[in-house]
Amino acid sequence: MRRIIDNDMLTVLFRFVVGAIFIYASFYKIIEPATFAKGIWFYHLLPGNMINLLAVFLPWVELVCGVALIVGFQYKGAVTLVNLMMFMFMIALATAVYRGISIDCGCFKAAAATNSSALDSLLWDFGILAMTIQLCFSKSKKMMLDK
Amino acid sequence: MLGKQVLILLVISLVLGVVTNFVSPNKIPFIGEYRDLSSGDGPIIPPTASEGDPPFIAIDVAELEFSLKSAVFVDARDYEEFICGTIPGSLNMPFEYLPEENIENYVDSVLEHASKDTPLIIFCSGEECDLSLHLARNLQDFGYTNLSIFFGGAREWENFELTLERGEQCGE
Repeated sequence: MRRIIDNDMLTVLFRFVVGAIFIYASFYKIIEPATFAKGIWFYHLLPGNMINLLAVFLPWVELVCGVALIVGFQYKGAVTLVNLMMFMFMIALATAVYRGISIDCGCFKAAAATNSSALDSLLWDFGILAMTIQLCFSKSKKMMLDK
Repeated sequence: MLGKQVLILLVISLVLGVVTNFVSPNKIPFIGEYRDLSSGDGPIIPPTASEGDPPFIAIDVAELEFSLKSAVFVDARDYEEFICGTIPGSLNMPFEYLPEENIENYVDSVLEHASKDTPLIIFCSGEECDLSLHLARNLQDFGYTNLSIFFGGAREWENFELTLERGEQCGE
């Protein structure tokens, strides 16, 4: 088991896949912060005065962590933040599913009230979470700026 | 070590986010003003609505779009009603006075040559008025793809103590 977790190829692959997903996910949110703010509002989880701050800040955390994962810069910090974000996204989606809110997850584009399923997004997140947890425990240092 | 790395990444993100939001043409205020307006009843949908109509939105969604300036509001009532109390910044396209010829050019000119996928929110007085529904159907036929109908209209807007804009020509 330990050998699989520390496997260099697997770790590099997961770093690139997760990094690319986070970079891609940040893209529309950075370009359209107002629509992303609307997406956050649809969840009805945050006080109103926090929504725009998060809409401005969070996409950049995704982008910076995505790049940091791929190049291996401040790597452990990036893995920790990516895992924290995954848990945060999944809790938000789970509460939306529980409360029966019809919502697009807002993961890859600006979210809106829609008929698409938050449950589907939640299932995808479990797959990404499996990769981020592997990155959390892997000791591989292959192809990293950090020494 | 770990805490320091997390802090470095967060500070880089914060600086980039703040700087980008200052220079971006799509910038938003750092502190948004969101109010919970929902009556919990969802959008008002008229009995005349049919499948294929643009979606109906509730007062809270309309107010959100208004505060984010992410949609263009179009008032479907005639000019006299429009000038005496409309949602601030709305464009006026009186459904009952649409020209019979060159109607698409007229619509394009009222909408200030907005692209066909511009988010448009159509409204009129309130529940007794279905001009918004008819106008939205027409705009749909002209190829506008991002339409919503705020059927609560100016009356629901006012009932939730949101400001209406009145022109100086009101009552003249």
